[in-house]
Amino acid sequence: MLSVENVTVRRGRAQVLNDVSLTLAPGKTLAVVGESGAGKSTLIAAILDLVRVAAGQITWAGAPVRRCSPALVMQEPRRAFNPHLSLRRSVMEPLEAQGHVIDTSHLTTLCAGLEIALDLLDRRPTEVSIGQAQRVGILRALIAAPPLVLFDEPLSALDAVTQKHTARLIADLQREAGFAALIVTHDLGYAAAYADDIAVLRAGQVQERTPAARFVTAPQTDYGRTLRDAAFALGALERVA
Amino acid sequence: MRSVFILILILVAIAVLGPLLAPYDPTQINIPNRLSAPNSTWLLGTDALGRDILSRLLYGARWSLGLAFVISVIGLVIGATVGLIAALGGKVADWLAMRATDTFLAFPDIIAAVVIAGVLGAGTGSLIFALTVTGWMRYARVARGIGLSLTSRGYVVQARLAGLSPLVIAWRHYLPSLLPSLAVVWTGMFARAILGISALGFLGFGVQPPIPEWGTMLLDARIHMRSTPLQMIWPGLAVVACVLAINLVGDALRDALARQDRTE
Amino acid sequence: MIRTLAGLTLRAVVVLTGTALATFALLWHAPGDPALAIALARYDAVVPAAVVEQIRAQASFDDGFWSAFQTWLGPLLVGDFGQSSVTGRDVWPELMASLSYTVPLALAGLAIALALSVPLALLATLRPGGLLDRAAVALASIGVAIPAYWLGLLLVLLFAVHLGWLPAMGARTPAHVILPALTLGLGVAASLTRILRSGILEARAQPFLPAFRRRGVGARAIERDHVAPHAAIPVVTVLGLELAFLLEGVVMVEVIFARPGLGVFLVDAIEARDFPKVQAVVVLAAVLFVVVNLAIDLFYRRLDPRIGERDA
Repeated sequence: MLSVENVTVRRGRAQVLNDVSLTLAPGKTLAVVGESGAGKSTLIAAILDLVRVAAGQITWAGAPVRRCSPALVMQEPRRAFNPHLSLRRSVMEPLEAQGHVIDTSHLTTLCAGLEIALDLLDRRPTEVSIGQAQRVGILRALIAAPPLVLFDEPLSALDAVTQKHTARLIADLQREAGFAALIVTHDLGYAAAYADDIAVLRAGQVQERTPAARFVTAPQTDYGRTLRDAAFALGALERVA
Repeated sequence: MRSVFILILILVAIAVLGPLLAPYDPTQINIPNRLSAPNSTWLLGTDALGRDILSRLLYGARWSLGLAFVISVIGLVIGATVGLIAALGGKVADWLAMRATDTFLAFPDIIAAVVIAGVLGAGTGSLIFALTVTGWMRYARVARGIGLSLTSRGYVVQARLAGLSPLVIAWRHYLPSLLPSLAVVWTGMFARAILGISALGFLGFGVQPPIPEWGTMLLDARIHMRSTPLQMIWPGLAVVACVLAINLVGDALRDALARQDRTE
Repeated sequence: MIRTLAGLTLRAVVVLTGTALATFALLWHAPGDPALAIALARYDAVVPAAVVEQIRAQASFDDGFWSAFQTWLGPLLVGDFGQSSVTGRDVWPELMASLSYTVPLALAGLAIALALSVPLALLATLRPGGLLDRAAVALASIGVAIPAYWLGLLLVLLFAVHLGWLPAMGARTPAHVILPALTLGLGVAASLTRILRSGILEARAQPFLPAFRRRGVGARAIERDHVAPHAAIPVVTVLGLELAFLLEGVVMVEVIFARPGLGVFLVDAIEARDFPKVQAVVVLAAVLFVVVNLAIDLFYRRLDPRIGERDA
């Protein structure tokens, strides 16, 4: 289980995260929503030990998170790959570091699930579409079968059709592989459709954490309601009630 | 651009093939024909010991260009390593590496080279040491600057998450992005090394006689400036031609790099 | 601001300590027995072993590197440069005497460099890519590639040997400074022209300038308020490097023209293995260099406010 306890992150004098506590059970999906600058990406960086945590602690199954080799899917798929290397080299990096032998059948299955043609992996990141690059990014995240995968705005660089398609693929793969997913997004529609729980982050603080279905009908805080109503108005979230 | 590379090719050819092209043994002393003016036998004349100046220039190319190449490449390796340690090794390593760089930069480098070569005693070894020790800092600065900007790149973060060792990350993800800029610095340092070698030679702290080296040739020629001024022209011209050609290559590389940055 | 100043000062102190350490390490590892070298230089004859041992004890040579380093550094910290190991006379007055030749030469060289490069860069950037611009670039490129010692010899050849207009060697009359200063100035002018030219071109290409022009801001005001300060940034950045270039040039030029300044002082000291003198030049140059770079750094922060932000 991922456990974030009373975490505070400072940048200069500003508190980017302020006493944040969250949990995520294995195999479950938690969506973290909020406006730009709420601290969503910092939360991911803190979980992955990429920024210094001023107070609090973050663990997976009681041990430091990095011990479980978590994976990250980034917002800008092309920038997540070294432009000088073939996609295959980049995809294999998690296996290379962990000393796993490359299991061809596992790779083939994953590629099939993500609808990636195997020869696509011989290209460079600049030679594939953004949607393809993002699917390869997910492939890299899952190649070493991590128990925890973090998604930082995984859909926001994609067009609407590709967004829907990719969201579907992520959900299917999660059902098969059983990893816990923490998805940072500002897309409430996506969060509501695919997450078990939704946590609302505002100015570095968690406002509420609500099961996704309930959040759509009855957010627990005023701010949650404001967010939901904005999504209604945009048509990003369909009125269920 | 193309003409610049042809120029470089000619230089490399002279450095490699120079001894084959040389009409005479560059160390063959011929006192009766000393200080001869250029003529059909000695195309560029002879020096104070009657040695053929053209042959000495051609053999000298190997010393000037070859040593400069060695010095600038060693400097590149040291500088890139220090810069990458600074960029990848965390705050303490960064501070230490940069203060070390500042320390070596805190001094006009040719003067430092003169002091080092002079104190250690004249000779090729001291020369290489002196010019290398004073010639790695710009590489380090550039490598660190670009390295720090790469740290937040997506693929570097991914490589760190994957658990690759810093060495692998530096080699695979940093070095390819550094090389173009390091190449531009390298052209500057190559030119600097040529100037440094001949400056040390001219002061008498460089490559020792009877090895033909352009700076020492100038030093010898200086005494006979009044009687045979042409003797002094040739080695200087050789230095200028090489440095100019290399600087032009550097400018062309820099422009190409800037164009590439704009299109990205 | 005070924090920045303190940080920069700390940095300067660390760098100077490093320089001192590197210098001492170099002299420590110089081939030969330093005590014997000093004794031979001082007495110029067969020296009794006892004298050598006495010198060795005085300089703490036997107590190991760090102890000898402290013995060496102590007097330096209070500005005592010691005595020449050859003549036994104080180093400081001799150093000052040589500086009285070097400073006017460096200033004259700098003046020539500025007088040539500023108008040349301004003329070149009137029409970028035009004939004048290309000529200036070509001239500067060649100028950067010419080693000072060769240029100096060529000038001597032309003006002293051939035309007989100017004196070449020594420093007896004020006219003796002309050729060395010209040699120095031409070299610095070449690199300064290149930097100024690209600085001005870059400043004129700033993306917001067309909007200013459309709003009716005069060309002169734009040049004064937006082009000149921006073009100054790269120039100030490389001033430190230019100073290095100037000092290097001075050393070479003084040797060529047999001008008894810092360069001749240094080269003679090295040849005589007179280490106290060598140290004095090294320390002086390092202090000068670090102080100037500190000043440049502070000035630079005022010109370009982004730098302060980045550090915060």
